[in-house]
Amino acid sequence: MNLPKLGNTQKQGGGGFPVVWIVIGGLIVIVGGYLISLVTPSILPRAGSAQAVLIDDLFRFMLFIGGGVFVLVEGLLLVSVIRFRHRKGDRADGPPIQGNTTLEFVWTVIPAIVVTVIAIYAFVVWQQIETVPPNSQQVGALGQRYAWSFSYEANSETLPPDVNMDAVPEDVVTRISSEEGLTFTSPQLHTWVNQPVNVSMETDDVNHAFWIPGMRIKQDLLAGRVTSIAFTPIEAGVYRIVCAELCGGGHGNMAGIVTPSGELSGAWLIVHPDEETYLREFYYPELEKILYPPTDPALLGRQVIQNYPCSGCHILDDLGWVGVTGPTLNGIASRSARLTASGYSDMADYLHASIRNPGEYLVPGYNNLMIQFNADPAQPNYMSDADLDAIVAYLLTQTQ
Amino acid sequence: MATISAPLPGIQVSEEGKLRIGDYLKWSVDHKIIGVQYAVTALFFFIIGGALAMAIRWELLTPALDVAADGTAYNQFFTMHGTVMIFLWIIPMMAGFGNYLVPLMLGAKDMAFPWLNAFAFWLIPPAGVLMILGYFAGQAQAGWTAYPPLSTMFSDGDGQTMWAIAIHLLGASSILGALNFIVTIRNMRPEGMGYFQMPLFVWAMLATSIIIVMATPFLAGGLTLLILDRVAGTAFFNPAQGGDVLLWQNVFWFYSHPAVYIMVLPGFGMLSEVLSVHARKNVFGYRAIALSSMAIALVGFTVWAHHMFTSLTPSLRIPFMVTSMIIAVPTGIKIFSWIGTIWGGKIRFNSAMLFGLGFLSMFVIGGISGVMLAAVPFDLHVHDTYFVVSHFHFVLYGGSVLAIYAGIYHWWPKVTGTLLNESMGKWHFWLTYVSFFFTFFPMHLLGMLGMPRRVAVYAPEFQTLNSIVSFASFVLGISTFILLYNMVYSLIKRKQAGPNPWRALTLEWATSSPPPAHNFHGDPVPYKNPYGYGTEAAYRYLEAQEAELGKSWPNLEEEPARALKPSSSPAGD
Repeated sequence: MNLPKLGNTQKQGGGGFPVVWIVIGGLIVIVGGYLISLVTPSILPRAGSAQAVLIDDLFRFMLFIGGGVFVLVEGLLLVSVIRFRHRKGDRADGPPIQGNTTLEFVWTVIPAIVVTVIAIYAFVVWQQIETVPPNSQQVGALGQRYAWSFSYEANSETLPPDVNMDAVPEDVVTRISSEEGLTFTSPQLHTWVNQPVNVSMETDDVNHAFWIPGMRIKQDLLAGRVTSIAFTPIEAGVYRIVCAELCGGGHGNMAGIVTPSGELSGAWLIVHPDEETYLREFYYPELEKILYPPTDPALLGRQVIQNYPCSGCHILDDLGWVGVTGPTLNGIASRSARLTASGYSDMADYLHASIRNPGEYLVPGYNNLMIQFNADPAQPNYMSDADLDAIVAYLLTQTQ
Repeated sequence: MATISAPLPGIQVSEEGKLRIGDYLKWSVDHKIIGVQYAVTALFFFIIGGALAMAIRWELLTPALDVAADGTAYNQFFTMHGTVMIFLWIIPMMAGFGNYLVPLMLGAKDMAFPWLNAFAFWLIPPAGVLMILGYFAGQAQAGWTAYPPLSTMFSDGDGQTMWAIAIHLLGASSILGALNFIVTIRNMRPEGMGYFQMPLFVWAMLATSIIIVMATPFLAGGLTLLILDRVAGTAFFNPAQGGDVLLWQNVFWFYSHPAVYIMVLPGFGMLSEVLSVHARKNVFGYRAIALSSMAIALVGFTVWAHHMFTSLTPSLRIPFMVTSMIIAVPTGIKIFSWIGTIWGGKIRFNSAMLFGLGFLSMFVIGGISGVMLAAVPFDLHVHDTYFVVSHFHFVLYGGSVLAIYAGIYHWWPKVTGTLLNESMGKWHFWLTYVSFFFTFFPMHLLGMLGMPRRVAVYAPEFQTLNSIVSFASFVLGISTFILLYNMVYSLIKRKQAGPNPWRALTLEWATSSPPPAHNFHGDPVPYKNPYGYGTEAAYRYLEAQEAELGKSWPNLEEEPARALKPSSSPAGD
């Protein structure tokens, strides 16, 4: 084939770029990319962690490059369709240019350099966010369809300064002074500013993903494995925790919500301004609920039920729950028709059975999706008889 | 390389016989009939998948669950939407284009294995029906990715099993079709057409077929394990009995990432044809475009785990980031080569070209967000969010579907012998283009601001953006019917297209429209360069073709380009 000489094809084709156009075009691309990258803060949530700051900077850089590529490609397309549009009466074909090795070399090498730079930058950021600081607060996260619970450790060294050991039940004293200590759970993840947190996560059922958009971190929970991710919050506030891996019909409910009355419900990250506030407002009060359990079983039940993942599926106005996968718990104690249908004569017995063996009687319109809470500590989803009695006592107060 | 000259068995129509609708409804080994069968079947499923998309967007108009009966029903919507669009729309549609065009572009009488070709097609309708019928058995609801244990121990309905069997059949169909393409392209090129004289669409089909043959067996293996876990009590994915949920993710993505290229490479090929013909200019950097398809096919096998950046062992994430970034380079070569192709040409803004340019301008956005997603730290934030949904719709709708539209407008005259209405085509383009952008671009923002994908309920602050997306998507859905109406209108109106209305140089135009049963009247002689526009030799070639076949453009308002003296080419080939 009689190819045109490569060096002068551009001039022949009438589509050549004088140097001045390359300079002007380059400036448009750089300025365009820069202007596009300025939108970064408005399209990301407030950066709440040290990791988020690094990731946002990486994104701003990529948006600068990507915005430049966008301006370049769309600009060239726009110039082409205007300048080289077919004009009425023009019966000619375009010039027979088959390529230009220099140009092709340039548009292979420059993108290769650009992605190499992005990859190196991303690698540097990755090394920084992957490191788990040694003084991290250890928190356990349990994902269950469709709620999160976070577990905190307590031992004899973390007790409130004004603890009154005489008022603590004996079994709690034994557990807390043992080597393992005791753990208590909360639907919220609490920490304080500048305290690195290492979240170690497990799932009871399917895969989930632990995502805090404000912290820019995400890690899947994998059935049969323990996974973890660390982050360091830098600003006090509340941040929504979201499940980001499809886990079933209630997947969208497995996130922090704001109830109609404006309260936080479900999974939230609460970053206290300092350790003292964290202890005063969260850690000690939560621990005291175990140290000094209420004597009224209904009050105890109201406290205990929040340690189990019920909020993801049930509505209960008293606690701000809005789940819809399961039947509502509002006014449960007054549902005599259901009691009759279930075959029980005593509401307490029905509630006991519904928790220990949820499949035994299904409320019409709902599927058998609830976790079966076992009385045997060796089984998964253990619920002690004491907890169950307290929960039933609490639910019996939910009348219409 | 000689073409097959013996008569092919099983073609019922005579050389001159006209095809009737009934011929398309029964078994045929004619690649043109099979191509149309693929395309019509795929369009049918496109409408089903689109209806499901409308249901999804209707649900997402408000933050609460109000359209779907429950969350599970919503999950079934998007599971079927994704599966239908991938396995029953884009992949079969591309196979349809390949079937119709590859033998014609090679000047061959049919595919290498005509019977196998028909068999591969006829696996699709039963598979599609089986998948849809899952609705009556508890439809699949674990997403098109079907991650265990959600898709195994936590999906009671038999629909999930039917889903897996249906995809198994579709995968088998895909493999058989791909083998046929490879053998056809390898052996049935005409005298004088080496690999580097093939049309770029044929190159793209070759690269696609190689990916299918290498990758789809992995999907088949994974699906077999999934089905066994569901029906035979095995525990490949059950950690309680020693299984591993990451095994599925690895095997699934080892197929499904290359599958992205299975869906988009034929679109790249069509784009090269459309841009060159309607800009009346040689493809810029033919070899680079041809070989970059192969580079994408090969590198595409090393990037799968970027779909697992939040589940993969952290130490393995960086290598996959590097490979995923590398694949941007051959893709960039293509984009710049296409711009080089139209630069300096005589761009004719007919519907095919508009969709071609639309593809180019939207696909680049998907490419940019793809590089962003490849960067592990940023992916930690946007993984499994609407950012990803946006990215892959820019690639698969802005890429594959707009390419399919361009291909439909470009080759419709060849397939049916009639022209599509250009005004309707332009309405179709502008409505699709604008509503496409407003459907998918705001999704980037939703994902970055904190909305995960696959949710039926979302935080109230996302309602404004979601409403924009939903309303735009309704326009996008409606715009599809302009094309369908145009097709019917064209078949009733029968405005004759002529053999070569675009005066293109590739061989599928060197025969009557529609082509006769054995494709060509005699043995066609390919022009030495399938894109050699603007040269005197090409003009002579087309003139000789016209003398033999009749006028190229009997009914176009404007006479197509016919450069006797190329405008400025003293050194043409």
